[in-house]
Order: sequence, then C-alpha cells, then structure tokens
Amino acid sequence: MSAPRPLLDPEVLARLGTLRLRVRSVTEGILSGLHRSPHHGQSVEFAEHKEYAPGDDVRRIDWKAYGKFDKYYVKQFEQETNLRCQLVVDSSGSMGWKGAPGRLTKLEYAAALAASLAWLLVRQADAAGLLLCGGSVVKAIPPRASAGHLLPILDALQAATPAGPTRLAAALDWLVEHAPRRSAVVVLSDLFDEDQALLRRLAQLSRRGHEVTVFHLLDPAELEFPFEEPTLFQSMEDGREVEAVGREVKKGYLKLMEGWLAQLKRECAEADLDYTLCRTDRPLDEVLLPFLARRERSAA
Amino acid sequence: MSLSFLDPALLWGLGAASLPLLIHLFFRRRPRPLAFPAFEFVVRARRQTERRLKLRRLLLFLARTLVLAAVALALARPRAEQPGAAAATTAGPAATVILLDASASMGYRLGGETLFERGRREALSALTRLGPEDPVAALLCDGGAPVAVAPSFDRLAARQLLAEAQPTALRADLVSCLAAAAQGLGMGRGQERLGKKIVVVTDLTASAWRLDAAPPQLPGPDGKPVRPEVEVVDVARGAALPNLAVTELTAEPDAAVGPRGYRVTVTVLNAGAERAGEVSLTLRAAGDSRPPVRAFLDLPPGGSVRKTFSHAFAAGGPALLTASLPADGLTLDDQRTLALRVPREVRALVVDGAPSPVKLRDEAWFVEAALGSAASPVRPTLIDAEALGSADLHAFDVVLLLNVRSVGTRAADLEAFVQAGGGLFLSMGDQVDPDATNRELGPLLPQPLHLVKTAATTLARLDESHPALAVFTGEAREGLSGARFQRYMLTRPAGRGEPPVVLAAFEDGAPALVEARRGSGRVLLYTSTVDREWTDWPLRTSFLPAMQRVAGWLSGALDDRRDPPTVVGSPRTLHLGPGRRLSALVGPDGVARPARDLGAATAVAPDGGSDLTFTVRQPGAWQVQVEERGATRVEAGLAFAAVIDAREADTRRLEPAALTAWLGGEATARVDGQGGAAPAGPGLPLWSMLLALAVALFLAESALLS
Repeated sequence: MSAPRPLLDPEVLARLGTLRLRVRSVTEGILSGLHRSPHHGQSVEFAEHKEYAPGDDVRRIDWKAYGKFDKYYVKQFEQETNLRCQLVVDSSGSMGWKGAPGRLTKLEYAAALAASLAWLLVRQADAAGLLLCGGSVVKAIPPRASAGHLLPILDALQAATPAGPTRLAAALDWLVEHAPRRSAVVVLSDLFDEDQALLRRLAQLSRRGHEVTVFHLLDPAELEFPFEEPTLFQSMEDGREVEAVGREVKKGYLKLMEGWLAQLKRECAEADLDYTLCRTDRPLDEVLLPFLARRERSAA
Repeated sequence: MSLSFLDPALLWGLGAASLPLLIHLFFRRRPRPLAFPAFEFVVRARRQTERRLKLRRLLLFLARTLVLAAVALALARPRAEQPGAAAATTAGPAATVILLDASASMGYRLGGETLFERGRREALSALTRLGPEDPVAALLCDGGAPVAVAPSFDRLAARQLLAEAQPTALRADLVSCLAAAAQGLGMGRGQERLGKKIVVVTDLTASAWRLDAAPPQLPGPDGKPVRPEVEVVDVARGAALPNLAVTELTAEPDAAVGPRGYRVTVTVLNAGAERAGEVSLTLRAAGDSRPPVRAFLDLPPGGSVRKTFSHAFAAGGPALLTASLPADGLTLDDQRTLALRVPREVRALVVDGAPSPVKLRDEAWFVEAALGSAASPVRPTLIDAEALGSADLHAFDVVLLLNVRSVGTRAADLEAFVQAGGGLFLSMGDQVDPDATNRELGPLLPQPLHLVKTAATTLARLDESHPALAVFTGEAREGLSGARFQRYMLTRPAGRGEPPVVLAAFEDGAPALVEARRGSGRVLLYTSTVDREWTDWPLRTSFLPAMQRVAGWLSGALDDRRDPPTVVGSPRTLHLGPGRRLSALVGPDGVARPARDLGAATAVAPDGGSDLTFTVRQPGAWQVQVEERGATRVEAGLAFAAVIDAREADTRRLEPAALTAWLGGEATARVDGQGGAAPAGPGLPLWSMLLALAVALFLAESALLS
C-alpha cells in the first residue's frame, strides 16, 4: 500500500494559490512511480497530408502538393514524435462549480490535472497541446515537446474562466480538422453537453487513430445529491430555474445519474475510449497514475 | 340517515381543520437558490416524480386536514340517526326501557318463526344499539301486573332477562306496561336530565292497546309531566296476521236432545281481512268413543260466527268438551276446552198424599208423568204417605211431599236429609193442615203456612234469573204466566234465619214458589196443588220442564253444570273437601306440577275443607291429583279448563298513525309500522369511529412522510 501523499489531496491543492505550484506539487508526487517513456527518435514513414495550420513546421510543407492544389499541405509521418497529446479542457459554466467551500471547482481540478499531464508529457519529450473550450474553442495551443511550450499552456489554464454552455463538439471538430493522426486526446469535462452525439464524435476520433481518454469530472455533490430542503435550482449555463425539495427528487436524481454514468461507461467501452470518472474530492494521483500506467502498457 | 351532535358547541373546533392550509399559505419556507451543474437531471427527476409528489402532497394535506376535522367532530360527539326519527329522538344519552310483548298473540308463527322469537331478537338488537351512556331496563309485558324498574347500567341483567324471556299464553295490556315503563323511567336516580325513551317491541295487534286510556307520562325535571319518547317496533313488519280462533265455548243442558243432552255453542272469529270459507270446526268429548261432531263454517272477514251443536253425553259425571279448528299461524286459540259436570240421574222420592185409583185425580199423577218422561234426568219413585215411614231417604236426592197431611215420625229424618244436602219439595192440597205441617216441618219450611185462600189468579211475578225458572224466558214465559189458580195457601212471614227467596208470586203478592236453604240442602214450597184441584198448571206445557228443573235444582244438578273456564293468568279457586289435600296439577302437556310449586293460597272452607287459589299459564284441560287417606288419585270431578283471553285471538292490527297520535304525535313517537327499516334506537354513536379514523389517518400521514 502506498503511503499517503497529502500534497496531492485536492483540499491541499485548493489552498495552493497558483496552478504552477499545484502542478509542481502533483508531478513531484507522481514521478516517484513513473517510468521513462520508451518512445524515442522520429519515424520517416509518410502517413498522410494534412492542411497546414499555424504551428506546423514549415519545413514539412509539401511544395508539390502546393503546386497541384494551390494549398499548403504538411507531410505527416508515422511516429513522427514520441507522442502528441491534445488536452481538451472544458471551461463551460458548469465546470466552475464546487459542492463545498474547501473543494476545487471542476475547472480548477481539470486545470490541475491537465497541467500536470502537460508537464509530465513534456518532461518525457512528448508533445502536449491545449484546447480550452466552452460554447466554442476559447484557446488552442498546438502540441509541442519543448519545455518552453509548457508555459503558455499553464498560463492559458490559469487564466481559464468558466462561462457559457458546454459544447465539446466544437473542440472535437477543431481536432478532427487540425490534429494529426494517432495523437492522444485527453478530454477533461463534466460532459454536461447538450450535444447527445458527443460520444459518437469521440468514437469517430478514436476510429481515426487517436487515443481518446475521457476524464469525467464530477463534484461529489453531483454524485450524491446531498440536498434535503426546498431549493431553487438554477442552471449554470442558461437562466432557467426549478424549485424542488431535495429529499423528494433525490431518489429520481440519483437513479438518473447512475443510469447516465453507466451509459457513458458502456458507450465508451464500445467505442474503445478510455473513460475515467473523477471525483473532485479524490487525490489527483488516483487519476493520473492509473492513466499513465495504462499509457505505458499500451505503448509497450 | 341524519346526524346530530351531543355537544354541538364544540363544532367550532372544526376550524382547526384549516390549520394545514394556513400553515401552507403563511409559513411556507422560501427555497434556497442554488446554481447547480446537473440542472437537467434535477429537472428530469422532478418531472418524473412530479405527479406522484403532487398526489403525495395532496394526500398529506388531506390526511392532516381530516385528522384535525375528525378529532374536532369526535369531540362534538356525533350520532347517526334514522330518517324520520329525528323529531322524536332525544339529544344526548337517554334512559331507556325496552318493553317486550310476551302475550299470547306473539306466538303467531310468521315466516318460519314466531313473532316472539323475532321480537326477542329485535329487543336484544335495540339493547345493543344503545350508547354506553344510556341506562337501560328491560320489561316483559306478559300478562302479569307490570312492575316499574328504574333503568341502570346493568346491561347484563337486561340482556339476560330478554334472552331468557319465554312466550306466554296470557293477555298483555300494553298500555299498563307502558305506564309501568314510564314510571320506571321516572325512578332513575341521577337520570333527571337524561332523555327518556321507551322501546316497545310488539306485534301491534289492536286488542293489546286501549287508546282511550291516558298515554304514558312521567315527571319532568321541573316537576311537570312530560311524555317519554316512544319507539314502537312492529315485529310483524306491517304484515297482516290472518287468524281463525275459537273464542267462546258454552254448553247448556237441552232436554230436547235427550238424557244428558246439551246445546253446545261455539263462537269462531275470523281476524283476517279475507273471507274464510269451508272452515272445519270439530267438537269432541274426551273419552267418547263416538266420532267427533264436525261442521263447516263460512266466516266473514273480521267477523265471528256462532255454531250450535247438540250433544248428548253417554254418561253423567265430569266431562271435557273441546272445539277445534285447523292449525293456523296462532295455534293457541285454535281450540278451546270446556269442563262440565254432566248431571247424574236424579233420584226422586215422590210421596203421594192423596192417592186415587183414578189417575187423573191422583195427586202425583202429573208429577210422576213429568219426572218420568223419556228425556228426563229424574228417576221418580212413587210411594204413599204411609210408606214414607219405612222409606230409605238416603237412597234419594230429592223428596217431593205432594199434599201430605203429616210426615209423622220422619220429620227429624227429613230435616237431617235436607241438612245433609238433600232437596225437599212441598206442594199444597186439601190434605194439608197448616198448623200440623208448621209443627212437623217448621224448621224446614221457608215460610210458615197460614190458611187457604180462594181466588182466581195467575202468576204475576217470576224470577227468571233463578236456575229452576231460567228456561221460561221470552215466549216460554207464557207457559207459566198463563196458568190459572183458584186456591192457594197463604204464608206467614218467615222468622229468623236466612230469608226466603220468592221465585214466583200471585197477583196479590202471595208467594207461589218460595225457596230456602237449610244446611247443605234446599227446600222449595209450592203454595198450590200439583193436580187439577186448585189450578190448571199441571195441564200446561210449562209444568213438565218446570218440575224437571225443580227436581234438578233441588238435587244440585243444575248448579254443577255451571263451571266457566278459567282464563290463563287469572286466579282459579279449587275446593277440596275435608280430609283431602292437593297433590299436583296435571297440565294439558301431561306434566304434573306438584302442589308446592303452584304457590297456591289456601283458605279454610266452611265445610272444614280448604279452598286453594292458584294461577295456571297454559290453556287446555287440567286434571287435579288429590291425596286422601294416604292415597293419591286423579279427581275427575275437579278437572277444569283454562282458555286464553279471547282478545288475544283478535290479531287485527292497529293503525300506526293512530298509535302515533295517541303517543303524542311524531314529536315524541315513532311507530315502525312498515317494518322495512331497522328501528332507529337512540342513534349510532360515531365518535369512537371518528377517533379510530383520526388514528388511521395519522398513521397514513406518517407512512406518506416516510
């Protein structure tokens, strides 16, 4: 049994003022059990063309294709890098909620998780990118493996504010268009998306060769519904309100929530998506270590 | 069904039922606003449970409201009342007397059970319906003198009395019973402020009610008389009670029928509303081997018919006659029994004081012919005056001295004969010496003889009520009053002792027939002749029956024939001679009731015997067992018949409206004439049920909350 790591406790992290401190705290705890990445070198095997996007290496522009189509295309090769990981962080209004005062909001928890992953990836010479999305893509940082690239990711995460509806579909559309093949896509969201076809889109990504991991972030209060008294529930993404007595709707709520989670888990398994339910009151290493271990096994 | 409240002022408590609504309106908790990410789940969960929750909230609201309303209503102590009873129902607890009619008419069998069985069930039901705060007494109206009983809370005693009540053959006077019930209601201590109620369970036959009497009343709280509330439960449920009954059975000796001949009259009543035709009426004499006499009657509705039979008994002595009808709803009155003593043959010694070889001139010729006729119950023995000295007087019941000059030495024997119960008849004539006769027979003569008067006259005054002359009424009277007399013996006023009774007198007031009792015997003085010397009466048609009846009366035979039946429940006195003791009475059912169980009152009779007075409660023929000289035997001569009161046979029903009016109208009375609904009773208390409902609602509210 591993020794307790108080620095990874969300309540402790919540008391740390900046994301950088949180990342450092998290990664120092994580590194003790992490192996080094087995992926080195670059592949030279051509894989496909991809339309040029800002951030792509201009040295890989295929000038012949430009001559044919009058558009810039970048040649892509198999295992071009060790890993290209796109961190998709949901910054919708609902992510800014926490069920108890000493707890991290879901967005803060997601930011800490995403930053820690970025730091770990870069440290292994893998490329990490960030996609912040709410109602639309708020911020997009292409994957880079350089240590200097970590700073803008942390800044973007630090500056992220929860607002607007959840529309992960916009981020996924962006990814389909811009992400190279066989990259890793890590989605950190509460998945309260109006788009019922979200998982289908994620499955579509998976079929395109991407390794999709879903970190489903939920506050314990969302899972347990600890409300008893008459409450005026307000939507965090629009102006709707509904009055209900907590103890009267609790049973129905929990049943719906349980059914939804079971459905998500089943559909993710069917689409070969790596699904992890993350309670925001649990230590981050409980999420990161199993994820990294799975990554290590799949890379081997 | 209507509702009344014992404490209507507490109905203000019903306002408490609005508390849940007021709390909902004014103390509703404001919901705490909360921005929640899984808002959609809350919306969907609420949508799924909304209908159920609304229903639950409504049920909770109803349960709480009803709990408070039920408690408030229970405190006001509501009662459910039957329709129509509201006006006559006392509010609050009522002291109640349940009066059960146990008269003979309640033995009517209707629908496989008697009205009494039905009535007992109704009475017990009325007892069960009483509230816990109602004191009660039960009273049987069974022909006895009703005894007022104060209501109490001893329900067990009342229930026991009703459950063990048995029908009787007696007549019930429901008016007297109601008066006793009302008196009992006024006797209850601490019950002055309670309502007063009488529940009468009866068959509603009109004969049991005397609506000309005063209705029941009792002293009110302020001393003024008040009427109790009366509820009459008709156990016949409005049904008609058709009934045929033998209401009267009489028998009169009828010489025309022959020796021991009787004219038997049976009265049959049809109490039904429809004509009854071809009704078989049977007359049977006990112990008579001959077939019974049968007749068929046609009875009008509500009317009665008299049927006369001629019946000659085979032998003298005690006899039982029974007239019977086919069994119907009320069997007690389908037959009636009469006990009578058929006179034995009267042995008469005729002493001829002036015999003559010419029959028409013989003093005794007409008398002997009259007494010895074919249908006569008298067997005459004719002797002359000289033979009287050797005659055995004890072998005769009656001695007739016809124009006898002197009885000689037999005067004392004659006096002893009469004193012991024998009869003596004296007629006058030219042989009679008033002074000598006065000397010899002075103690026996009703009046001393004086002298012979010659005057044409007739009988001007007749005592038709006397048994010896009872047959000379109407046209038959002419037979006596038409007789002419030329001479007759005048008499002197009687001395001390029992005054004589003049049965017939001449126009001048001189007695023609004078009667006197001497000891156990009787003496009759006839102041003219029994031949044609002084009168033509022997030639008249009235002479023969008159002489036969005189002989019968002097021997006591006429007296014995009169034994009116005893009405059940009425006292019957039985005379037992010296040396006799009552052992038992054997009823019509054959069961012997020992004398010690009869509770008979005993009195010493003048002859040294005893007179026992007792009451029988079963109709029919009763035999008497006597003990004499250590031996027990049935004394046929003491047998008697008991009959039910003929009024009980009249099952025609009383109009409920008339009874209601007599009881004070609908304000104080309810007559359940149709019998369709169960009697109202004092109303069904609802508060216990309401409290149970409140508890149930409270438990339901708790279950809804959990």
